[in-house]
Amino acid sequence: MSERLDPTEEARRLYEDAEKRTATAMEELVKRDAFGELLARATENILALTRMGIDVTDLVVRNLRLAGRRDVTSLGRQLARTEDKLERVLQEVERLQEQFAEAERSSASNGTTRRRTTKPKPAASK
Amino acid sequence: MNPVEQLIRAPVAAVEFANLLLTRDDAEIGMTPKDVVWTHRKTTLYRYRSNDRTHALPVLLVFALINRPEIFDLRPGNSFVEFLLAEGFDVFLLDWGVPGDEDADMGIDNYVCDELPWAMRETLRASGQEELSLLGWCIGGSLVAMHAALEPGGPARNLVLLTTPVDTSGSLYSNWVARDSFDPEFVAEVLPSVPGAGIDWANKMMKPVTNFWTTNRVLWQNVLKGEAKREAYQSMARWVADNPPFPGRAYRQWITWMYKENRLVTGGLRLRGRRVDLRRIEQNTLVVTAGADHIAPRAGTLPLLDMVASEDVTHLDRPGGHIGLMAGSRAREGIWPDIAEWLEERSGA
Repeated sequence: MSERLDPTEEARRLYEDAEKRTATAMEELVKRDAFGELLARATENILALTRMGIDVTDLVVRNLRLAGRRDVTSLGRQLARTEDKLERVLQEVERLQEQFAEAERSSASNGTTRRRTTKPKPAASK
Repeated sequence: MNPVEQLIRAPVAAVEFANLLLTRDDAEIGMTPKDVVWTHRKTTLYRYRSNDRTHALPVLLVFALINRPEIFDLRPGNSFVEFLLAEGFDVFLLDWGVPGDEDADMGIDNYVCDELPWAMRETLRASGQEELSLLGWCIGGSLVAMHAALEPGGPARNLVLLTTPVDTSGSLYSNWVARDSFDPEFVAEVLPSVPGAGIDWANKMMKPVTNFWTTNRVLWQNVLKGEAKREAYQSMARWVADNPPFPGRAYRQWITWMYKENRLVTGGLRLRGRRVDLRRIEQNTLVVTAGADHIAPRAGTLPLLDMVASEDVTHLDRPGGHIGLMAGSRAREGIWPDIAEWLEERSGA
């Protein structure tokens, strides 16, 4: 004789089973070519609308003589470029420091001493 | 719990359920103390504080360009960083930051040829070592592999690549974005920084019912039964919802090179004129795959094992998903000790 299940448990089991089947079906659906195509087209449409919105907003903001997102981005980009250059200069300075330290170490180990060879500054012509 | 009990408890559970969702962003993640070592643009290199560094080689953690690297240090008691520190490692974290429109010019080449090697140099300077271990996860793993392929004689002694996409052919992503009708150029042109929420939505659409419905339904049931784990749920939910934008140029390159042209496998990827050939990777390599990973499927990572030239290659395959593998409740016993052991054997001075 089969054991009788609690109706609540049975309902829950049926629901979870249905959910699992739906999940599998949806996963199959998103794998289909047609879904991929739909996604690509929908993305393109949304982006085209977004671009129109951005362009219109930017036009309004610029005509009000206010700094728009594009202007702020441009400033940010200039800062980023400056930081790129600074980073490279810093690296170069560090490399030279290391070279200098290395040269000092090798000259110290050879028993020689470095002599300052700074020449006096020529007098400025008037 | 019988239906009457459920009905009585439902109003309280509804309030608690709503509270869990509404206060999600109050969850504390990435709490292990750390110091800033170096910054450049949006990138920051951190070093975690520790007074118990017993292994010579520092470990540099590199996460993907999507989502935030706090997943390495999710919450106290469930943090990979905390675990590595307890094991005596000197741990550094490379955080790509949150790019804005001004970072639209950042491409894969910037990350692989500038940010990553610069962060490595700073890691070596801070730790006083000449070599280090690189641990990359997801896209972070691909970036690490690209760098290692370009610099086989570089300072990286060990590579740990976690759920790393390499061969994208036949993947669901590929089916969506590799088709001619999907134009990443247009996406990057309209959106200088591609919103992370859009990428997250696409990720969730891979398993729509599970991600959009089942997760919430299970949470509701747990709340109803009084079994919801607030901290565990909120910390993960907060991390999942935190999606930084993808810089436009990097997005365009990633989609075109990895999905449309599958260049990492065909060998056609060039960064600043230099060919990225994974066959040049000579470092000790640990590849970790997850059996139920639908974002970087196991089959897409395995070709790496045959491609690299390293003499020391280890593969660990574990059950779990793309993120759950490393950040799930079973990670502490399931995978972290194996990674730590592998690193420990190769981290001597």
